[in-house]
Amino acid sequence: MNFSQPAGSGPLHRLPPAAKLAVLFALSVLVFALSSAFALGVIAALVLGTTLLFCRPALRQWLASWPLLLTIALVAGWTAFAKDPETGLVLLLRLSALSLFATTVTTTTTIGQFIETITALARPLERIGIGNAADIGLAIGLVIRFVPEVQTRYRAVIEAHRARGLKIRPATLLVPMIIGTLQGADDIANAIDARCIRPEHAKPN
Amino acid sequence: MQTRSLVLIALFTAIIVVLGLIPPIMLGFFPVPIHAQSLGALLAGVVLGARGGTLSVLLLLVLVAIGLPVLAGGRGGLAVFVGPTAGYLFGHLPAAFIAGWVADQVSKRQLNGWKIFGGFFLGAVLGVVVQHVFGVLWLILYVGLAPSDALIGDLVFVPGDLVKAAIAAYAGQFIAQNFGARTRVA
Repeated sequence: MNFSQPAGSGPLHRLPPAAKLAVLFALSVLVFALSSAFALGVIAALVLGTTLLFCRPALRQWLASWPLLLTIALVAGWTAFAKDPETGLVLLLRLSALSLFATTVTTTTTIGQFIETITALARPLERIGIGNAADIGLAIGLVIRFVPEVQTRYRAVIEAHRARGLKIRPATLLVPMIIGTLQGADDIANAIDARCIRPEHAKPN
Repeated sequence: MQTRSLVLIALFTAIIVVLGLIPPIMLGFFPVPIHAQSLGALLAGVVLGARGGTLSVLLLLVLVAIGLPVLAGGRGGLAVFVGPTAGYLFGHLPAAFIAGWVADQVSKRQLNGWKIFGGFFLGAVLGVVVQHVFGVLWLILYVGLAPSDALIGDLVFVPGDLVKAAIAAYAGQFIAQNFGARTRVA
């Protein structure tokens, strides 16, 4: 897994993430309110133009996400075949414009900015007593930290199967992987508490 | 939330991510590849319980939203949330919750092997059903497919998902018997 950070400093990169997300939401409402192929074609062209002007890597990223494009093409193709070509075209324009813009937002926003935005959005929840906004960043960091660890464990279990000449079956693979990973939870939790990363939850002893 | 619960949730999200990265598991008696990522969501519910499982899947969706390539095939980013199959992605949340809620009820009672498996399996199947309802409703209401078309497209994936429910229940039963309630997020 590679966590490539989007690089660049175009005007889209400088916009606050919350504004980009608001535009994405507005766009999704707009494309579903419109139902004429012409209007949607104009919107799709605008989105494509914006991406070409300000953020070409997003277009490359979008073309690389072929499983998504394939499902869009499949539903649009089926609709064109089962209903009529115009409905299929409307569907194709709608979903591709939306997914291209979503990819642009993802490409022009760093993971750090996203985490800040989510934390800021979670502050009101914290005030009414649900959860802790700072925990979101900590949890995301923990996952990124432990994915390679779990991958290593997965490989170790596969090797152990090979060494014993056992067939790899879902249960014999999943159980050791899950138990082995979760057993570390106490140590990790103690390490977090020992470093006072969540001061409000420090253990009394 | 205790730090330990937070760590359990994050570790299980890491497990779900890795299940999406590994090649599909081939079952001996079933000539179909089992993609392990949606299995991971059911397992999260069965192993961590309703609260932990739902939060673990929610954390996965947050990782997807911020653009990390954590879904099967290295997908990620906001685009998957506006695609035609996003209903199944959102459906992981209630699936994990329902599978977890039933598993919580089962593990509260002192049951033996087969009854635990049966209870876990029932919960996982209910979770799968609700996930498919989400997926089909998304295809009908958001994409605009005809209900009959959406259902037919969906039915192709039902057998595989039922096998996943069985695997999740089987693995969950092993973990519940050998690891006890220590994996449940309070």
